[in-house]
Amino acid sequence: MTAYVIRRFLYAIPIALGVAVIIFSLVHIAPGDPLSALVPADAPSSVVERLRRDYGMDRPVPAQFVLWLGRTLSGDLGVSIATGRPVAGELTRAVANTLLLAVCASLIGFPLGILLGGVAGYFNGRAIDRIATATAITGVSVPHYWLGMLLVIVFSVELNLLPAMGMGPGGSSAWSWDWTHLRHLVLPAVTLSVIPMGIVTRTVRATVAEIMNEDFVEALRAKGMRESQVVRHVAKNAAPTALAVIGLQLGYLLGGSILVEVVFAWPGTGFMLNTAIIRRDLPLLQGTILVLSMFFVLVNLLVDILQTMLDPRMQRA
Amino acid sequence: MAEPTGATALGTPADDTVPRRTSPRGYWTNVAKRLRRDKLTLFFALLLALVFLSAIFAPWLAPADPYATSMLKRLTPIGTPGYPLGADELGRDMLTRLLYGGRLSLLMGILPVVNATVAGCILGLIAGFFGGRVNMAIMRAMDVFYAFPSVLLAIAIAGALGAGVVNTIVSLTVVFIPPITRITESVTTRIRKQDFVEAARATGAGNLSLIRVHVLGNVLAPVLIYASSLVSISIILAAGLSFLGLGATPPEPEWGLMLNTLRDAIFVSPWVAVVPGVMIFITSMSFNMLSDGLRHAMDVRM
Amino acid sequence: MIIRFLKGWAIAVLAVGAFFGSAAASAETVLRIGMTASDIPLTAGQPDNGFEGYRFTGYTIYDALINWDLSSADKASDIRPGLATEWSVSENDPTVWTIELRQGVKFHDGSDFDADAVIWNLDKIFDENSPQYAPDQAAQVRGRITSLESYRKVDDDTVEITTKEPDSFFPYQLTYVLYSSPAHWEALGGDWNAFSGKPSGTGPFKAVNLVPRERLELVPNPDYWDQDRIPKTDRIVLMPIPEASARTSALLSGQVDWIEAPAPDAIPRMEAQGFSIVTNPYPHIWSWHLSRVPDSPWNDIRVRKAANLAVDREGMKVLLRDLMEPAKGHVLPSSPWFGQPSFDLHYDPDEAKRLMEEAGYSKDNPLKVTIKISPSGSGQMQPLPMNEFMQETLKEVGFDVAFEVMEWESLLSHWRAGAGDQINKGIDGLNVSYATVDPFSAFVRFMQSSQIPPNGLNWGHFSDPKLDELMTRARATFDETKRNEILAEVHTYAVDEALFVWVAHDVNPRAMSPNVQGFVQAQNWFQDLTPIRME
Repeated sequence: MTAYVIRRFLYAIPIALGVAVIIFSLVHIAPGDPLSALVPADAPSSVVERLRRDYGMDRPVPAQFVLWLGRTLSGDLGVSIATGRPVAGELTRAVANTLLLAVCASLIGFPLGILLGGVAGYFNGRAIDRIATATAITGVSVPHYWLGMLLVIVFSVELNLLPAMGMGPGGSSAWSWDWTHLRHLVLPAVTLSVIPMGIVTRTVRATVAEIMNEDFVEALRAKGMRESQVVRHVAKNAAPTALAVIGLQLGYLLGGSILVEVVFAWPGTGFMLNTAIIRRDLPLLQGTILVLSMFFVLVNLLVDILQTMLDPRMQRA
Repeated sequence: MAEPTGATALGTPADDTVPRRTSPRGYWTNVAKRLRRDKLTLFFALLLALVFLSAIFAPWLAPADPYATSMLKRLTPIGTPGYPLGADELGRDMLTRLLYGGRLSLLMGILPVVNATVAGCILGLIAGFFGGRVNMAIMRAMDVFYAFPSVLLAIAIAGALGAGVVNTIVSLTVVFIPPITRITESVTTRIRKQDFVEAARATGAGNLSLIRVHVLGNVLAPVLIYASSLVSISIILAAGLSFLGLGATPPEPEWGLMLNTLRDAIFVSPWVAVVPGVMIFITSMSFNMLSDGLRHAMDVRM
Repeated sequence: MIIRFLKGWAIAVLAVGAFFGSAAASAETVLRIGMTASDIPLTAGQPDNGFEGYRFTGYTIYDALINWDLSSADKASDIRPGLATEWSVSENDPTVWTIELRQGVKFHDGSDFDADAVIWNLDKIFDENSPQYAPDQAAQVRGRITSLESYRKVDDDTVEITTKEPDSFFPYQLTYVLYSSPAHWEALGGDWNAFSGKPSGTGPFKAVNLVPRERLELVPNPDYWDQDRIPKTDRIVLMPIPEASARTSALLSGQVDWIEAPAPDAIPRMEAQGFSIVTNPYPHIWSWHLSRVPDSPWNDIRVRKAANLAVDREGMKVLLRDLMEPAKGHVLPSSPWFGQPSFDLHYDPDEAKRLMEEAGYSKDNPLKVTIKISPSGSGQMQPLPMNEFMQETLKEVGFDVAFEVMEWESLLSHWRAGAGDQINKGIDGLNVSYATVDPFSAFVRFMQSSQIPPNGLNWGHFSDPKLDELMTRARATFDETKRNEILAEVHTYAVDEALFVWVAHDVNPRAMSPNVQGFVQAQNWFQDLTPIRME
């Protein structure tokens, strides 16, 4: 077991390095001058050249990569070209906001998905199964940014019940757990929860249905076990798969919330990424993608290990 | 894992991807028979056909010119005579633009999956067939791409390349290559190790003919089904990129871009602003249902 | 983390009822403003984000030697004394300016403003070897103060600045240099990043509580040197909300009290809900900047005039729900520089068709032109619908307009490169809106041949000896009346030659709640936030 964990960790290192290479080269295939985020069109070229030197952009690309990687490993993600502020500081706040949103979406999406999927799998083929399946397919088919717009139109524009954007009066610096702030969370969290809800439902349904078909369930029943205990057994067997999909989805929520954050002007990583793209603020772009994908690598790793711990049969060579 | 983590998740396709099949002809007859009995799938297939036909025949179907603006008719509500679905922020007929919009939206949604299927199959076949270092090199490179959440990777590439239809297609293609490569590779590897392939090899069959005869046929079904489930994601993502301003560029009609430009109008003509999203939804839903139906009909477990 | 989170959630659920609908009552008056910028403009001295930056983090926290007079809504605003009380050019040498500094002014940290502070700040942007050199601030402002050659301290209250050549526009350039506190920078260990978090200037507002990307709070500086301009609101909160629909919804739902540039379509709804829309024309021009490189189709004056006559500006005004002023030239007709052009910009498709036919084009044989545009950007108004409108209206007379759409920042770099650059091959024009506040930024940088890139922003490589001579003469004329006469000649000539396709002047719309009182919208890009009261 320990050997597996160590092996898995070691395997994550080249992956992380590969990710770093991709992110770095992304920025270098980008057309246009990376300094354009900062420099007004009429700045004299001597000033621009000085800035280029300051940002190390006059060096050859491989040297830039080594420098960048070294700095990144020591936790220095560079300085935003547009604002001159350290990227790491900007990201901390944004990650916290995205995390808040993602966790709330999870609290809505996962229990609902497990419930729907479990019920559907247990009553495989019955009407309730069909309703749950239809809900799940709708969940994974709906363009979530459009759903967000729809919710804004209904609840903000037409009914004027909930705010359409932002994190509330204090922004993220003065977030507090009162209704004035929480009402800002409702629409984005619901919007974001729809896809994971659908995916969790589908996976849990399939897993439960498959387990229900296995011989041991019949055997348990034959032994005279009460149905509630049978359900408990089924749940136990379905847990590793459910956990895996939930873990993965949490990772996707963190990295995939950009469209929802843009629709609701939620000041998280996705919103920041969008700003970085629009302003062509490349260090910020690099930093954000790097942190999000590292999060994802880490979540994958944890899910793998956790899954193995729960179900040793899953251990792979 | 019994079902793919499916839409938007690009979940790791699991191991038992080999379809159980006997004689080719009997298999496909069975598939067709099962499909005919699946009314729900047929319904969505029909819906999808309608969407395609309306996009293809847009010039004949559309009541107006998709680029013709009218300041007087701007943001006309749904149901106005002459404007059954209202008019957009420049007074262009929404119905017309929806019909035309399907062309770019479908192209941007489907082409990346087609590209990725071709590229992924080739990479997967090479990796699976040759094994060893070649396999290692290709599959570890794919693992790196797997380390990105798909939405993030698409946006990162499109964001770096800049707005444009071609850039969107490129970025989504890159996102979809790894999962298809993985499926192809796993099926190919398994088949390569089976006895009959070894036997064929012993009789001196060339690599290419081995791939053609034994591998391709077995790989095709799972890959096609997986690819069909990707189309739904691809449609949503492509329109999403346009929605962020990273895809199609004005004044082209495209559903995601239409959503984007109509967002400013949600306080004036909210329900017109919603319409393009309905089309994205219908298309993506149909592809999902179709993919599910195909999977059942072809009896592929993934 | 999780436990704390769950705890928070539980408390929240309990608290929802208690907090529902209750707003914390406070005696403090707060004005919350939604800006169009995507981030808080830089706060360490020289702001970024163009003139919106100057408006909100420039002239609030800081002063220039020469400030803008923003007290009137009725006349074009001009400059007035700021940190300098007087400025004059030497009789013998018209390149030497003597500037008398205001005495007794203190920075927010309590240190003195004097000639040393002026020199220190000029070094900050001009002397790359000074310890306080701030490359990002230099990048923002160097292009706005192009004439400066050297500077020196005369005594504690006087500095002397020499310009490269006689330049009567120079006082306008001085309005763009803002003065940060040297003592405060020292106290923060010489770190400009730390300084942005705790800025110290001489302006009417002090900046407190900067949350990057989210908010900046401004509180009054009770010791401001101009007692008439001590702010009347206890606190101003600036928030970046780049999307028009998001700003609109923020205003409608009461999250802000004031928004810049509301979405035109939402204005009827805002008015219906009691919000007021404030507008006033200001020195801004939305145009197509035409390429004049050798093979450009715009070298034919008939084509240029036809395009100007083909634009249905009144129709566009309807499109923008009245939020524009149809252009009659490069500057507003009320400007002292407007002159008496004989070419009248109006909608005359028949005349335009005739001109195009003369030039050899028609609707069936259209002239293909490609224009670079952006979907958004500072001062760009509603670029997509406006350009699409242009495309339609020009099509009628024989233009086939294609667009190359790119992000705002990319468009700016293509603009700076000039029409002759490789990246602009095949491009016949671009759409960047311009501020025409002073003679240099209104005319010289676009029309003088010495300003062809990389030297300046004469994007189209336009060159005309007559205009060159006029502008050089204006620059060397220190008498204001005479200078304005020459500039009027410049403008008359430019309009008669149809140098641009001029379309619209923005009217600077902002929407505010009825609680906002006392605001005077000056005819300027900059606005004075000090007289505003919240009621």
